[in-house]
Amino acid sequence: MFGWTGTVLRVNLSDGTIKKEAINSKDATLYLGARGLATKIMMNEVDPKVDPLSPENKLIFMTGPLTGTFAPTSGRYVVVSKAPLTGTIGSSNSGGHFGPELKFAGYDGIIFEGKSEKPVYLWIDDDRVELRSAEHLWGKNVFETTDEILKETAEDARVACIGPAGEKLVLFATVMNDKHRAAGRSGMGTVMGSKNLKAVAVKGSKSVEVAKPDAFLEACEDARKKIKEHPVTGTGLPTYGTEILVNVVNQVGALPTRNWRDGGVFEYAEDISGEALREKYLVKNKACFGCPIGCGRVTRIPEGRFKGFGEGPEYEPGWAYGASCGVRDLAAICKANFICNELGLDPITMGSTIACAMELYERGIISREIAGMDLVFGNADAIVELTRMTGMREGFGDKLALGSYRMAESFGHPELSMSVKKQEMPAYDGRGAQGMGLEYATSNRGGCHVRGYMTSPEILGIPEKLDPLVTTDKAAWLKTFQDLTAVVDSSGICLFTTFAIGLAEISSMLRAAVGWDISDEEVLKAGERIWNVERLFNIAAGFTPQDDTLPLRLLKEPLPSGPAKGKVVELDKMLPEYYKVRGWNEEGIPTEDKKAELSI
Amino acid sequence: MKVKFFGNIRDITGTKEIQINGAASLRQLLQQLCDKYGKTFNEKVYKDNNITGEVIILVNGRNVYFTGGIETALSKDDEVSIFPIVAGG
Repeated sequence: MFGWTGTVLRVNLSDGTIKKEAINSKDATLYLGARGLATKIMMNEVDPKVDPLSPENKLIFMTGPLTGTFAPTSGRYVVVSKAPLTGTIGSSNSGGHFGPELKFAGYDGIIFEGKSEKPVYLWIDDDRVELRSAEHLWGKNVFETTDEILKETAEDARVACIGPAGEKLVLFATVMNDKHRAAGRSGMGTVMGSKNLKAVAVKGSKSVEVAKPDAFLEACEDARKKIKEHPVTGTGLPTYGTEILVNVVNQVGALPTRNWRDGGVFEYAEDISGEALREKYLVKNKACFGCPIGCGRVTRIPEGRFKGFGEGPEYEPGWAYGASCGVRDLAAICKANFICNELGLDPITMGSTIACAMELYERGIISREIAGMDLVFGNADAIVELTRMTGMREGFGDKLALGSYRMAESFGHPELSMSVKKQEMPAYDGRGAQGMGLEYATSNRGGCHVRGYMTSPEILGIPEKLDPLVTTDKAAWLKTFQDLTAVVDSSGICLFTTFAIGLAEISSMLRAAVGWDISDEEVLKAGERIWNVERLFNIAAGFTPQDDTLPLRLLKEPLPSGPAKGKVVELDKMLPEYYKVRGWNEEGIPTEDKKAELSI
Repeated sequence: MKVKFFGNIRDITGTKEIQINGAASLRQLLQQLCDKYGKTFNEKVYKDNNITGEVIILVNGRNVYFTGGIETALSKDDEVSIFPIVAGG
């Protein structure tokens, strides 16, 4: 096979057996790879009603056919499982170098089954694959774990692991690779912890063969040139990182402020912006494997009580700890984000859960005695301390470890959780960007922006300018974005490439890498197939159209200020149209005709 | 009116925001700014008598694409924001 190594590892953690299996080439063609292929395996092998933290759930690491190749940004891999935070299909991808290394060792992916009796890690050294004890690593943070494993295996190995948050089953724990890169959402690190799997370390010496080397090189060079020349991927992201979005989203009135209570304008946005980060704390930018963009931020807080060194924050964590918690102290935001990486926590859910707790506190629902501190909006020390306490499940942090929905529900106010399907929405207020509102309501992994990034046309004007305040055509646009994103996530490249390149360039690379005789339209159809299989998994898990909704705040409370003042999300207009353009029935279920069309 | 600059536009202007008077339209404003900040600003923001594809311009938070483009009328209480095109996620 080309693009693929052709082999998947199946590791049964209950009995310790490790098998090498041939990849299912038919499914690989229909589902492209990574997110798509792993979801198909979940559908084939796991009961969607399974308890996510039981041994019967599976945890799949999977690469795409472009991972580890010459394609620009080919450092991506995905982790897929049933998600403990949402109960939906969970999938989260990450960059760095781990994914390519797995392919260099000769494997497209790893399927973990069962549960180990004691903590273990998987060590892959080309053909030699073994489970090793991780009892001495249990309790160590991500950086300590990575360093220790590199000492025990090979200094140039690559490590994906969990921190204490995953071990302690915080419901939004991450899988961290290369220390600072995160498969961040969906609680994939929690599933890993439930299986007593501390880490996967890999070292490989092979390379990835492609079907048509000359055509592949040409397609990759074309894509790379466009990425380098585009002002977003060539200049904006390398210079400022994703935090550059803070000011523009704030100016259009869509930066959710103080648990989305105060609308979409944060009066201190400038203090937490990408411009401020660059001026105050940026050491340098950093790129993942094969990436010509380099959006990563290496940052240092040189002194003071938030002194620290690490990476980030990206725009979403910067917002979750900043505007959402009403905090303007960028050093505190950086520090809280560093702790998320150390302990293995999703900073979007973490910051949003603290923001929810702050609103409960200000309303008098959570007392000072319960919180253990004066938990008002703007308390910079609170975001740092509560992040640490949550990762370690100490004190009030044990409550926050459930995420905002379960936490707020336990105090009788689930409506104050700014989440969809129990996963917290990220940093764009759907009242000020209607298409993003529809995206949150329909994302297959709950509140999420990167399944169909409508911010791009609605706020940034890429590839076309759509008026953020109207609902017209948003359903059709969102479908295309969701399907194309499924293609990108399944190919093994980074979503950020799509600011500069599109379906044509990605399809060209796929065809030349794998040798597929497949049109651009068929590639996009594969994206639609993936989306529908994720949907079918969720329906089989028990989700209904009533779950395709938003917090009441977005549907009933008009934005109080800013350019979108007076707006709510007009979901009742967009959702029926969305089901229609998807070819689903009025109950939001893919029809038999649609399934036949997609060969599902 | 207040004019705010963001991202690498600030590197050109050397300031985050200014007050400016006498521009009745976005075109007039950009012409004034080009006179003030010179060739680099001109090439980045206002080329061939129109807004370049490298910037996002908002008037009171609305993208001028939806308010009349380069001919968008301005008044003294307006706030104009000029960004390089940016993205993230």
